[in-house]
Parts: sequence; C-alpha cells; structure tokens
Amino acid sequence: MKLFQRTIRDLHQMLLDREISSVELTESVLGHIDAVGEKTKAYLLVTRELALRQAKAADDRLRARRDVKPLTGIPIALKDVLCVKDVVSTAGSKILKGFTPPYSATVVDRLESEGAVFLGKTNCDEFAMGSSNENSGYWPVHNPWGLDRVPGGSSGGSAAAVASGEAIAALGSDTGGSIRQPAALTGTVGMKPTYGRVSRYGLIAFASSLDQIGPMTRDVVDAALLLQSIAGHDPRDSTSSTRPVPDYLATLRKGVKGMRLGVPKEYFVTGMEPAVEQAINDAIRLLEQQGAKIEEVSLPHSDVALPAYYIIAPAEASSNLARYDGVRYGHQAPGAKNLIEEYMLTRQQGFGAEVKRRIMLGTYALSSGYYDAYYLQAQKVRTLIIEDFKRAFEKVDALLGATSPTVAFPLGAKTQDPVAMYLNDIITIPANLGNVCGISVPCGLADGLPIGLQVIAPGFREETALQVAYAFEAAADFRKLQSPLMRAA
Amino acid sequence: MPEPESELSSREVEHVARLARLGITEDEVIRYRDQLRHILTAIDALKRADTSTVPATAHPLEERNVMRDDRSEPCLTAEEALKNAPSREDSYFKVKAIQE
Amino acid sequence: MAITTRYEVVVGLEVHAQVLTQSKMFCGCSTDYLVAPPNANTCPVCLGLPGSLPVINRRAVEATIRTALALNCEIPEFSKFDRKNYFYPDLPKGYQISQYDLPFSRHGHLDFDVNGEARRAGITRVHLEEDTGKLQHEGAIEQAQSSLINFNRAGVPLMEIVSEPDLRSADEAREYVMRLRAILQYIGVNNGDMESGQLRCDANVSLRPVGRIEFGTKVEVKNMNSFRAIHRAIEYEIVRQTEVLEAGGRLVQETRGWNDARGLTVSQRTKEFAEDYRYFPEPDLPPLEVSRQWVAEIGSSLPELPAARRDRLIANFGLSPYDASVLTSSKPMAEYFEETVRLGAPAKAAANWILGDFSRFLNADHKEIQDASVKPVHLQQLIALIDSGVISGKMAKQTFEAMYRAPDPEPALTAAKGSSQISGDAELTGIVDQVIAENEKSVADFKAGKEQALKFLIGQGMKLSKGRANPQRLEALLREKIA
Ligand SMILES: [Mg+2]
Ligand SMILES: [Zn+2]
Repeated sequence: MKLFQRTIRDLHQMLLDREISSVELTESVLGHIDAVGEKTKAYLLVTRELALRQAKAADDRLRARRDVKPLTGIPIALKDVLCVKDVVSTAGSKILKGFTPPYSATVVDRLESEGAVFLGKTNCDEFAMGSSNENSGYWPVHNPWGLDRVPGGSSGGSAAAVASGEAIAALGSDTGGSIRQPAALTGTVGMKPTYGRVSRYGLIAFASSLDQIGPMTRDVVDAALLLQSIAGHDPRDSTSSTRPVPDYLATLRKGVKGMRLGVPKEYFVTGMEPAVEQAINDAIRLLEQQGAKIEEVSLPHSDVALPAYYIIAPAEASSNLARYDGVRYGHQAPGAKNLIEEYMLTRQQGFGAEVKRRIMLGTYALSSGYYDAYYLQAQKVRTLIIEDFKRAFEKVDALLGATSPTVAFPLGAKTQDPVAMYLNDIITIPANLGNVCGISVPCGLADGLPIGLQVIAPGFREETALQVAYAFEAAADFRKLQSPLMRAA
Repeated sequence: MPEPESELSSREVEHVARLARLGITEDEVIRYRDQLRHILTAIDALKRADTSTVPATAHPLEERNVMRDDRSEPCLTAEEALKNAPSREDSYFKVKAIQE
Repeated sequence: MAITTRYEVVVGLEVHAQVLTQSKMFCGCSTDYLVAPPNANTCPVCLGLPGSLPVINRRAVEATIRTALALNCEIPEFSKFDRKNYFYPDLPKGYQISQYDLPFSRHGHLDFDVNGEARRAGITRVHLEEDTGKLQHEGAIEQAQSSLINFNRAGVPLMEIVSEPDLRSADEAREYVMRLRAILQYIGVNNGDMESGQLRCDANVSLRPVGRIEFGTKVEVKNMNSFRAIHRAIEYEIVRQTEVLEAGGRLVQETRGWNDARGLTVSQRTKEFAEDYRYFPEPDLPPLEVSRQWVAEIGSSLPELPAARRDRLIANFGLSPYDASVLTSSKPMAEYFEETVRLGAPAKAAANWILGDFSRFLNADHKEIQDASVKPVHLQQLIALIDSGVISGKMAKQTFEAMYRAPDPEPALTAAKGSSQISGDAELTGIVDQVIAENEKSVADFKAGKEQALKFLIGQGMKLSKGRANPQRLEALLREKIA
C-alpha cells in the first residue's frame, strides 16, 4: 500500500514509529498529484515548497518527540475559500485572482500549530456556490471514480483530492451540503459540524449564518481526528461557541446498540435514484442489525427548506460579496470612465454566472417591498425547520438518510438548469438551516459510483454523528473502496 | 411584450443589477429575468408555509453579548494593507473619480 | 421679515460622534487615526478583507448606553446590529455595520436654552455604528479624476444621535448641538472636536406654512463643521427654501453640502436613483441582551450633567442663567470657573473674566480653555490684585493679555504685583507698627510660640497696604519688631 493511500491514523503511527518521515510521505502525495492532477484538476494551487518546508519542520518535531500531535507531518489540502497568509486564496473566483491574504484563517493556524503539511488550495465552486464544481472560476473538477462525472460541490476539489490520493485529508466548507454532497459523490467521509463549532475566521464568506468548515477524510476516525484539531471557541469569531469540545475518539467505538435512529420519511425525495434508495435501506438495516432501534420520523417542513435556503443564502451572499469592488484587492476592470462604471465592470468581469444569479436573487429578496415576503418569511421557515429537528430529536438520537438523491452525474448535465442543480442539496440543506450537524459516510456503489449515507445529530452532538457513522463504517466495510485513480497507482 | 404584473420585470432586473453594482448586458437582462422568474416560481412554496405562529430566526446562535475588551492590538503595516491594491498612490488606495 | 411669519422652520439634526476608545469598533486597530501614517492603522477586519469577522468593542457599547442615559433615553432589553448595504469607496465591506430596528436606545430628550429660555428637543434614538475611511480628492470632488483612500478611520466607533424635528430656528439648532457636545464631553465619550470631524452634524431642514401639521419637503444639509457653520447653513437654507416657495416653486428632496467659503449650500445628490439600503440582521454578530443591572451600572457612573451644573452654579454662586449656561456649555470651562472660585476668587468676577476677554482671545485663536497658559491660580491672583486695589481695571486687562500671550503667565503677574509693591522699610515700618498696635492678642500668641499667629499678622499687613507690601520684607520686619 502506497503512503498516499493511507489514513491519518495509520500514518501518524508510522511517523511516530519513525517508519517513515513526513518528507517521504509528502513527496509520495506530491508525486501522486503529479501523476493524476491533470485528470482530476482538484487543485487550483499546489504549494510544493511550503509543503516540503512544513514536512521538514514536522520531522524535526517528530525526531525530538516534541509536541507531536495527530496531524503532525500529515499532508492536508485546503479548500480555496480558506485564507492562508501569503498564499494565493481566491475562493475559486476570478475576482480574487492572485489575492494573497496577509493573514491566515483560524483553522489554518490551528493545523499549522499541530504541524500539519499544506499541499495546496483545492478547487471549488466560485465562492462555494454550487453542487458540481462546474461553477469554479478556473476549471471544473473531475470525479476520480469516473472522469466524465462531477465530484459534487462546492468542496469538489477537496473531495476529489482525498478520493484520488492527492491528499490524506482535506478541509471543506458546507453552507447547504458543500462538504457532505461531494463526499457522497466521491466515496469519502465529509462532516458538517454544528454552526459555531468551528471558527469561520478566515473562511471567505458565502452565507455567514450557514457556513461551517469541516473535515473531508478517508474514514470516520480521520474525520474525528481532524475535527478535534479545528473545533472550539475562537475569540475572533463572535459566532463560535464557547461550549467545550468533547474527546471525539473517546466515544467513537461505542456502537449503536440501544440507540434510537430516526428515518425521516421526507428524505426519500422524488427523483431519488432507486440504487441510492436501495443502498440507504440496506444501510439502515445494517445499523438495525448492530442493535439500533429504527423509527420512522417526520420533518414536516423539509419541503420548504430548499426555498428558504435559496433566499437566506443568496441574501447574505449579496451583502458578503459587496466588498469585491476592485478597490482594495482583486480584479479591477481597466478602462472605466468613472467609479460606478468601474464597479459595474469589475463585478461583471470578475464574477461568474451563478454568483451573479445569486447576488441578483439575494439583492432582490432584501430590497424594499420584497423583504417581508422573501427574507423575513425564509427566516420564519428556518424557525419551523429548527423546531422540526427539536421534535424529532426528542424521540431519536440521530437521523439517517441519503446524502444526495443521485450518484455523481455527468459533467454538463445540469449546467443549463439552475433549479435542477439546486435540487442536489435538497436533503443536506435542512441540517444547515436547522442548526444540527451531519456527516456523510460511503454506503455502497451504483454502477461504480459511490453513494453516501447521511447521519444527522443534534446541535453540538458531533460525537453522536461520528459514533453512528463509525458503527456503520465498521460493520459495512466500504472503507476499503478506493477510486480507480487511487487504486491505479 | 407586456409582462405579467406579478412576475419579475426586466426593469426590476435592471434595478437590482444596479443596486448590486453588477454590469449586465441587454441579453443578460432577459436571461437573468427568465432564470430568476424560474427560480422564484420554484421556491414559491416558501410563501405558502404557515409561519403565523413563529418568530424569525436570524441567527442559529445561543450566544449573547459576545464582546471584547477595548484594547488596541498590533495591526498590518501600510505595505501589507496595500499589498493587493490594484491601484495605489504612495500609501493610499486610489480610485476613479466618484461622480456618477 | 414677512417671510418668517408665513412659514415655520422645522429642523431635525443627526449628529455623528466618534466614541473615545483605544481600539476600533470591531477590531483591535488603534483609533489614533489622525496622527498615524495613511493606512497604517488597518487590519483584515477594518479593511474588509475576505474572511475577516467583527467582534464588538464593549466600551463602545457602554459609551452609547451612557450617552443615551444622559439624553434621558429608554434602553431596550434586546438589541442587535444590522448591515446597511451600499457601495462607496470609503466603505470597505460594501456595507456598514449599524443598527436598524433595535438600536441601543430611543425616546429621549435634550434640554437646552436659547438666550436663557428653556427648550426641549426629543431624541429619536442613539445607535452605534462604524465610521468609514477617508477620501481625499485633488481639487473639487466634481472635477477630480481620482481619489485617494485612507482606511485608518474605517471602523472607528461612531454614535448616531438623531433628534426629532423639534427645532424651530438656526439658533435653536446651534444651541442644541452646543449642549449636546457639552454632554458628550462631560460624560467622556467624545472630545467634541468638530473641525477634525470627530463630531459631525447633518441637518434636515424644511418649511411649512404656519399652522400646518404635515411637514414640507425636507433637504438634508451636510458638511457643517463648526457651530457657526451649522447656524449659517440652516439660515441659508431657510432663505433659499422660502424664496423657492414664495416664487411658487417646489422643493426637491435632496442632499446639499454646505460650502463654508462661499457661504451657501450646493446640491450633491438628488434622489433620482433612490438608495435602498437593504438592512438585515448582521449574521456575524450575536444579538445583545441589555440587562437592567448593566444599565444601572453604567448609569451610576454618570457625572453631573450640564443642566444640573448650570442650576447649581445659579443657586450656589448667584450667576445669571445666561452666564451659567455659557459656562457649563463646555466641561473644561465649567471646571476652570469652579477651580478659580475654589481658590478664592469671587464668582461674579471669575465668570466675567472667563466669559469676557478670556473667551474672546480663545475664540480668536481657536483654542480651548484647558490649553491656555493662564491657569485658574493665575486668574485668581489677578482678580485678587484688582480687588485689593493693587492694580486698576485697565491695568488688569493689559496684565491679563500679557499673561495670556506668554507661554508662562507668572512674569506678567509678578510684574503687576511688583509695579506698585512697597519694599521700602520706611513705609513698611509704619504699617508694621499699626498692625502690632491693633492686634495685641495675635502678637501675644506669636510670642507664646504660635507660628500661625504670624501668618495672620502678615495678612493684616497686606490688607493695610492694599496688597502692595512685599510679603518677605513685611514678615522680616514683623519678626524683628515683636522679638
Ligand atoms: Mg449613520
Ligand atoms: Zn482593524
């Protein structure tokens, strides 16, 4: 087994045992990026020199056995929405082409202080707006399970990198499913923590009240490890929670015996592919065999989650993206006659079609005369969704469902129809609106393409979601599934 | 062609684009109008949800009164601040004339 | 004037006051933007860099509540910040973090007086927001090819104090702002500097026919950076609007800038393209619960406010309401006055000096009383010299000016004393003899060893000499004669 094919936990042990060095490991991953990077296009930028420098520093740390952490020396990819000091950070947008932030995101600082190795910035939908990665301002990402397929989005580059062996793990961000859906479509594990669990400082904002950074990994243990190192209060993010962070590994292997797991009937949406439905039912049965009590539950307002999301997220985005005016950084349109023209041209040239569409939609929803009907109403619906989850979690410990109603679809299949594209996130969005956490774990293949099981737990109960996901992963053993690009090496 | 009153009009699309400082071509006005109409129709269920008994949730947060002490901290140097500036003059950011 | 009887003037004021804090509203950058090199007081937060997030400065919130309490406002129990969305190059994020429907306070009032007559203006609200950066143009804004931006000011905490349209003349508007400024200074939340823009005032001015209840079309006047400018600009608008109406014209709702050099207002922006600020709750900041205990704590630290001080000066020192109002319009001036009196000066004389020559010189020099070299101790001594007849009123005026102009007022004061001082022993001996003869008891006390008694005898000698005796010689002669 090649080094780049292994998990954080394995590699950590090998590094500790001095079986390998971080430089060797990093070179192994960089070599694989060289081999398959042109196929997946997962990275926007590979920070080779930075990675090797960090790997050497990690080796020093390991050699001295000084302050060794689970991520010390582990090569990790960062979604391009995360600011890294002096490293180009564009959020997948042309409007930020060449932008080098003078500061790093809190999660980046935390990983750095653990001694992690940064491989580079992964491709994503522009400003994290999309479900297929085709909205990248640079190029689309190809799914390592089928290069004619999308990897999902918006964290498609991170997902593809982990699935192809171009990273041991990655960070993504999830506003309406942007970690979980690409994880499902690439056979990886992806977790959206509860809003407030992980600092957003330095995360280039899409929708401020929904965005969360989370881990994308090969298995559930790695997800727990990575989450452990990034979670916790940050005084720079007023919305980050001061609740203590539990030891996620401590409860991981407790199993599901006696646990009550709910299956929301609304999550079997119309348009769900039969193979997906089959795999989810099989997964539920497997968890039942492990001793869980399965109950059907109802989240009656699920059907209005998507509409509410497509008002709230664009509304916040329309404001968050106002700063891209070509004055302080980023693209500035040449040749404008005056300032207003410069603004209009800069933003016309710098933003892609989907971003413009959402800015327009959000601006409209907030504009005078429409605020109550759209924005305020969406916020009220959000309350209904939060209450749905509260009621459900009075009866059950966690919820089960598909992550995506379909497997990875062909590139270009939905680009002409925004509404069809939006439906991809129909069962991931409620978790963002409902202030709960969710994880996607592989639960099978359909025609050689991965399917994801979604486990949703109450707010700040990441340990519960991880525990259920781990129990499933251990019983089902889809963990050994590897994408053709990973296997071929 | 006259547009139905309840539907988003081209004029509104132009107004919204102007509010958002987004330059759009005449073709795009039509395209965005049609796409936004399609999206607004698709999310019409929102308006039918019975929200008469619930308050709005702006934040999913339980936190209140998150504040910091009034202490000044080191900031960026002017050079760092201006590092990404598309146009500058000395230690200032420079922009086009403001008149509209 | 006929016109003023046909129309009633309606003025409402919006005052923006920077809050005195060490750090900015939402980041740790220093607020000393006036002295820092351009763009050196900036960070990812106040530059609006991608990914940065705001954190509320507690002191700024408390200063706002403090201000609101001083303005007799209600403080709601729940408050939040909102985003006000608009594009302008001095606004880094494309939105200003401000407060919309749930500000920190509302429904207050401010008492002030105009020529000694009491007035009251309603305070609609006091809310907290962030200041913008500063634009500099080459030449006039209308002709400039480009502008330069300094973001050092961006993010400085800024209170917006909105009055009800309760003001009925330029005089009232000016007095309102003067009193408001005094209050802000008294409670230590703002330094009151209008010239540098740390206190800024916009006026909404409209006219309506006398007796009409509905308001006329209002014009927003900006860019007035002195009391005088506020007064002149509003007077100008009243005349301009009256003329338009008298000629049968219609006023347009617009923003006009006051041009101080030309003494007129210029249209800046007609509302051809109506701004739509699209306010919505700031998702990056959790809301605030303002507990009654917190409000009580803030309220308990409020000092005596100008109105109360004014009443006290009238009651304790017998000052006229007018003098008391002017003295308390600035905290440093009121303090200067009270210190001078505490040192022994008669109140009326102290007030006359401070409000007379002293203020005239200060105004001419654009200086504040606390920056003058003449301190209360000097003024008190000067007044004592006059009272004891050492120097004439005319000479006192010359002496005061000399004291005021010099970096150190002592020499001028000493010169005044010395100019008529009696140092000759021949003349002093006569005074000493008289003192000894008239104060047998004190002489005996001093002989018995009471040093205190000598002080009294010296004082009597000074009195007899009308303050002109050289105190050192006087003391020496007294000791000699008694011993
Ligand atoms: Mg304001
Ligand atoms: Zn700052």
